Amino acid sequence: MFHYVARRLLHLIPVLLGISFLVFLLVHLVPGDPVRVMLADAGSPEQVERMRRQLGLDRPIYVQYASFVVRAAQGDFGRSIHTRRPVAQEIAFRIPYTVRMAVAATLVAVAMGVVLGAIAAVHHQSALDYGTMVVALAGVSLPNFWLGLVLILVFSLHLRWLPPAGADSLLHLILPAVTLGTSSSAIIARLTRSSMLEVLRQDYIRTARAKGVGPRRLVYRHALKNAMIPVVSIVGMQFASLLGGAVIVETVFGWPGIGRLAVDAIFTRDIPVIQAVVLVAAVIFVFMNLLVDLLYGLLDPRIRYG
Amino acid sequence: MTRWNALPVLMVVVALLAMTAGSGGAAPARGGTLTIVIGSDPPSLDPHRTPSVNIAHAVMYETLVTVDRRTGEFIPGLAESWEISQDGTAITFKLKRGVKFHDGTPFNAAAVKTTFDRLVSKETNAPGASWVGTLTRTEVVDDLTVRLVFSKPYAPIFSSLRISFLAILSPTAIAKMGADYGQNPVGTGPFRFKQWIPNDRIVYERNPDYAWGPAHYKNRGAPNFDQLIIRIVPDESTRVIAFERGDIDILPGAPARDARRMMRDGKFPFIQIPTTSGTYLGFNVKKAPVNDVRVRRAIGHATNTDEVARIALEGLAVPMLSPIAPTIWGYWDGVKQFALNHDPDRARALLVEAGYRPGPGGAMIKDGRQLEFTVWTYARMTNVRVAVVLQSQLRTAGIKLNIEQMEPATLLASTQRGEHDAIMISYGWPDADILYYFFHSSRLPTTNRVHYVNAQVDKLLEDGQTTVDTAKRLEVYKQLQRILLAEVPWVPLASELSVNFNQSYVQDVYYDKFGNLLLLDAYRTR
Repeated sequence: MFHYVARRLLHLIPVLLGISFLVFLLVHLVPGDPVRVMLADAGSPEQVERMRRQLGLDRPIYVQYASFVVRAAQGDFGRSIHTRRPVAQEIAFRIPYTVRMAVAATLVAVAMGVVLGAIAAVHHQSALDYGTMVVALAGVSLPNFWLGLVLILVFSLHLRWLPPAGADSLLHLILPAVTLGTSSSAIIARLTRSSMLEVLRQDYIRTARAKGVGPRRLVYRHALKNAMIPVVSIVGMQFASLLGGAVIVETVFGWPGIGRLAVDAIFTRDIPVIQAVVLVAAVIFVFMNLLVDLLYGLLDPRIRYG
Repeated sequence: MTRWNALPVLMVVVALLAMTAGSGGAAPARGGTLTIVIGSDPPSLDPHRTPSVNIAHAVMYETLVTVDRRTGEFIPGLAESWEISQDGTAITFKLKRGVKFHDGTPFNAAAVKTTFDRLVSKETNAPGASWVGTLTRTEVVDDLTVRLVFSKPYAPIFSSLRISFLAILSPTAIAKMGADYGQNPVGTGPFRFKQWIPNDRIVYERNPDYAWGPAHYKNRGAPNFDQLIIRIVPDESTRVIAFERGDIDILPGAPARDARRMMRDGKFPFIQIPTTSGTYLGFNVKKAPVNDVRVRRAIGHATNTDEVARIALEGLAVPMLSPIAPTIWGYWDGVKQFALNHDPDRARALLVEAGYRPGPGGAMIKDGRQLEFTVWTYARMTNVRVAVVLQSQLRTAGIKLNIEQMEPATLLASTQRGEHDAIMISYGWPDADILYYFFHSSRLPTTNRVHYVNAQVDKLLEDGQTTVDTAKRLEVYKQLQRILLAEVPWVPLASELSVNFNQSYVQDVYYDKFGNLLLLDAYRTR
């Protein structure tokens, strides 16, 4: 097991190098440069050149990349071109908000998805089955910004139950989490349904039913737990991608997460921030991937890691 | 029976009368928090490290000179008076006495020198440095007298002096914080900085020592609020909803459609003011088919700026007749006679002169192809609406307009290569000197996006910068406007109006003619 984990972690190195190289290339190929954005219309050509030199952007690309890799390996991501704050600080600041949102949205998604999927499976091929799948489909089809604004309109403006923007309290978390969670829930619902159907067909379920186990106990005790195994893996991956930020929801609800940081950085061509955010997201994703695989092993005793 | 003494009773009666005497005009209530909402964080609260300044800077920083909110004239800010030298190359400022920075450092000539030296230093490389033009040095004459010396007279300096780029910063704070000053700003303003949660809010508290407010306020001392919060909400619909719900006290610059609705509903007090912004259609004068001035003039005459203001901008704009918007210093009313008025017949006649002939469906054709060009603009709702209205107006004149939307950094970078036919964007600045950046040949190809080269215009733009006498300077810009309207590197479109709402329990909120929010008199009634 230890060897397995160590091997997987070692994979991080080529993955991060590859990703950082790709991002570096992309950011330099795209038109527009951070110096022009920073100096806007007022800067004279001398100022532009001076700033380029001050930011080290006049060095050849491979030198810039090498310098970035060496410093990043030591945990130094430099300063944001746009705000002059240390990039590590910008990210560290926003990560707790993103984590809170990811956890809340995942809880919503799992609650909605598993319930809908289980109902659909148990009442297989009935109106309830089709009905819940349609609801799930609607959830994934509705655009995030539209759903978010509608929820704000209903729950914030008309009913006045919840605040529309900001991140102060748990109440502020509800609407954005529901918005985000709704689209994720559809996949979980479908997967839960098919996984449950698969499990319900198994011999040991037939045996349990024959032994007289009641339908509710059957579903909860025997079927659901085993059906959850593939679902766990999907939920893990969804959580990991939510940790990379949810730009649209963050923008609509004014939530200060990583997604907005990334998008603002792209608009202002803030190279150090773009690089750092992508790397952080990649690391998180790889770790989550590993965690999910380990969890899988824990849940399904048939799986062994060597 | 005790003897009844009239005197104490009389005293009580007089006291009661005295207490009720002044209550006709109730004194503004002290206390409470004021919450304002804006769309994005300023990049930095250090005016020397940001390409743009907004209310987040204006509430805690002050400048040497400010503007009277009614007349628009320059009045004392941190400087009590000033004197311009005969040749216009030096301005000596006498500074206000008794002013202190938020950290207790006294405000004096040395602080002004430290601030301006830092602004123009090569090491700082401040985006706002060009706004001091030809400033070569700042001299401390005595503790409360400072002199700005320019290599050539720089007439726009007063317009610049009142903008937060040129605010005076605490030298102690700059020395102490170094690179982190932008997150720990210290000024002399009525509010002092307390906390900044990026992408969420900036919190300020009342500066209790403040006692030097500009003369156009009733209250020239500390503000009436204990705390000021600037919330940051990027989505404009969410901002409106948060305001309507009562979470926000002041909503500056409401989006046009919501503004109209809220103005009609009449639930919230509002103030509608012109802005110093101007939206224009700028041609790449080096590229066919718009390299022909007759074609550009024809496009100008085919455009109906009234419709643009009324339909595309929901009536919350005024048509722009000159490249300089009406609120910008340098605008001249007489420009009306030279403006490109809506005249489709004249447009068609000009195109015929340029070699086009009307073809099927009214399309203007030359060499077998219809007159066609592409305009680049931002993917913002207002820009798109204006572009679509223009498209239909030009179609009536037989011209085909294609619209291409881009994100800002890409658009601004791509115009350098001169690949564009035309762009449609906006600018905003209070002084006509801004035209230097758009039309002077030295600013090609960066800010001179129209690739315009005209020696006469160059000379006029330079004269506009060095002519200190206001009347003479205006003559320069009058001539400039005439030439630019004849050569049509731009078709000026419209200048947006800004509609600013506040809750009814917030009183005495003002805006100056540049659209800046003035809060010293404001207070809450609950």
